[in-house]
Amino acid sequence: MDFDFSDDQEQLRDAVRKWVDKGYGFERRRAIEKSGGFDRAAYGELAGLGLAGLYIAEEHGGMGMGPVEGMVVMEELGRGIVLEPLGQTLIAGGILGGYAPEAVKAAWLPKIAAGEALVVLAQQERRARYRLDPCATQAVQSGNAWSIAGAKSIVPVGDRADAFLVPAVAGGKIALFLVERQAAGVATQGYGTQEGGRAAEVGFKSSPATLVTPDGLTALEHAVDIGIAAACAEAVGVLDKTLAVTVEYMNTRKQFGVAIATFQALRHRVADMKMQLELARSMSYYASLKLNAPADERRRAIARAKYQLGVAMRFIGQSSVQLHGGIGVTDEYIGSHYFKKLTQLELAFGDTLHHLGEVSERMQDTAGVFA
Amino acid sequence: MDLAFTPEEQKFREEVRAWVRANLPQDISHKVHNALRLTRDDMQRWAKILGKKGWLGYGWPRQFGGPGWNAVQKHLFEEECALAGAPRVVPFGPVMVAPVIMTFGNAEQQQRFLPGIASGEVWWSQGYSEPGAGSDLASLKTRAERKTIPGKGDVYIVNGQKAWTTLGQYGEWMFNLVRTSTEGKPQTGISFLVLDMKSPGVTVRPVKLLDGECEVNEVFFDNVEVPVENLIGEENKGWTYAKHLLSHERTNIADVNRAKRELERLKRIAKNEGVYDDRRFRDEIAKLEVDVVALEMLVLRVLSAEKSGKNSLDIAGLLKIKGSEIQQRYSELMMLAAGPYALPYIHEAMDAGWQGDFPGGIANAPLASTYFNMRKTTIYGGSNEVQRTIVAQTVLG
Repeated sequence: MDFDFSDDQEQLRDAVRKWVDKGYGFERRRAIEKSGGFDRAAYGELAGLGLAGLYIAEEHGGMGMGPVEGMVVMEELGRGIVLEPLGQTLIAGGILGGYAPEAVKAAWLPKIAAGEALVVLAQQERRARYRLDPCATQAVQSGNAWSIAGAKSIVPVGDRADAFLVPAVAGGKIALFLVERQAAGVATQGYGTQEGGRAAEVGFKSSPATLVTPDGLTALEHAVDIGIAAACAEAVGVLDKTLAVTVEYMNTRKQFGVAIATFQALRHRVADMKMQLELARSMSYYASLKLNAPADERRRAIARAKYQLGVAMRFIGQSSVQLHGGIGVTDEYIGSHYFKKLTQLELAFGDTLHHLGEVSERMQDTAGVFA
Repeated sequence: MDLAFTPEEQKFREEVRAWVRANLPQDISHKVHNALRLTRDDMQRWAKILGKKGWLGYGWPRQFGGPGWNAVQKHLFEEECALAGAPRVVPFGPVMVAPVIMTFGNAEQQQRFLPGIASGEVWWSQGYSEPGAGSDLASLKTRAERKTIPGKGDVYIVNGQKAWTTLGQYGEWMFNLVRTSTEGKPQTGISFLVLDMKSPGVTVRPVKLLDGECEVNEVFFDNVEVPVENLIGEENKGWTYAKHLLSHERTNIADVNRAKRELERLKRIAKNEGVYDDRRFRDEIAKLEVDVVALEMLVLRVLSAEKSGKNSLDIAGLLKIKGSEIQQRYSELMMLAAGPYALPYIHEAMDAGWQGDFPGGIANAPLASTYFNMRKTTIYGGSNEVQRTIVAQTVLG
């Protein structure tokens, strides 16, 4: 039982933090948001730090690191509310590395690690909400070739990514495929998202596809859990910054002749925010440390973590806006962007009520971290 | 980073588990697992069993006869005791006064008091709060005036009243914060004085609480003569010593191990009462489940930081707030699980072995009383509002 970071992990953190502080200021982020919510150059800088290959084995050009390193990186990207979806790249690296045939790995992983190929999970379908098993997208095999038909919704940077991981039903069972955006029959319709990022509706019409694994639901659940652990860590970074700017504002803003940080009603709200932050951080650790556990144990832990993070994100986000007063609801102020990012992260991969349901479903007689 | 305990820690846990299983009397663990009434004898019997093994003072360093365990070992010991259904160690002697005597008492005092605490022979009580001094403890008024009495030497004459003295009706010795000076700030005129509760002038009056039990007492001092040898440390330095004592209360204030045990009990009760599969009720248990895991993670983070000395976490206030809220919540949900069957109040039904008919089953007998009793947790030990003020200070300055 040990929650200290190794020297290597601290160095990784420093490197990402330095990039965020020097290379990804609020003005650059604002410019990226205006130009569509995704910047390939910024993504390339992340890849240049080796981050795109974090979960990719060294033999495929990656760094061969694990969930704790992923967590460290995502926390720092959260601090900068970075729009480029590295969490998606962690999913792609983890899932292709864990489930794909050797030839697919050899073809894709080095490109992903180098930042040349951005592969995202195209899993969401309309009306499926957070459930993973309803899947209307169909896959057809002819000879050795697969093609898929269907539509996916709110795919992260869907019109800028190079390929998609697509669950589709093959022979009555969900399988996972890789489809290139430039492939025949792929149509995308991109749009901005509330927090400043980018997504797209993606349609497939007899689009050529590569089979990643026939056991698609297992891989999909794993993919989502990698995404949730990354989202939890990213959230911790955003939460840290949210509390920090709130504290700074309360100590400078004066009303009735004194700093508003002197008012007890406000101070107690800050104490509650600190509580939620530390519970959130604890559960983000928990999620990442359970990411390599057997599927049942992993799913249970991830649901617990996402529930806790959801509660924390909503409470701290809303409280921060409230404690700022009027400035907190302006677009000009960075605080409102933290709040929108937190809202997006709460709704990603299952919101708080959804995961409460998951915890409830998966509850056992025993209790605690090790149960 | 690693969630798992080391093989050595795991081995330690197994040794403790085996010993507790072999030595904890079943009649006592039965009461704890079912929230039945514990007698003075139950508590002291377990204390003496621990004392004989050298584990009553489980947080003590070796030089005073303790096991010299580190923070993780102490946690594992507490966890194994809690899960096995051991009564909580009554903290006033081994956890609260002993560290003060070790740190600030003289050699004579250490030899005089520590053995009786370590063995569980002597029951200690705490004299801090007063009717007019709750969260604002430094405003306490109980006076101790130093006088020379011919034939007896130097004594303190103590006058005043202590309040909320937990289990004081069983107490043999009592450690007190008393006012020895009214000069300067309130904190600077306080001394740490121990006294024999059989001394003339000491009156203990049990106070019946909302759960129908007498868990606390008022203690009156009417010209009680206390030998000056009973002053711990220096006169007027008692506040510093008391604060030192509070700093010894780190992770165990969260009581997460007991919460785990009680959450499992809540699930059993909910199943028996047929509400475990009621979605609305089950979701409430699920929320508590996450709360308990999150609190345990927080506790483990503190322990890890203590072990390595890196990333120290000053979050005792958070542990107190969350731990107490969880205690209240599980007791509340247990009562709600029983619903109307929690309402009958049959005092004897909370004694082990009662053979009467309790509506809806004997397991329901203590649920409302426990719920009522648990209201104390957000009030004592520095109310949760005081804790929030402390937490806010660390965040906002």
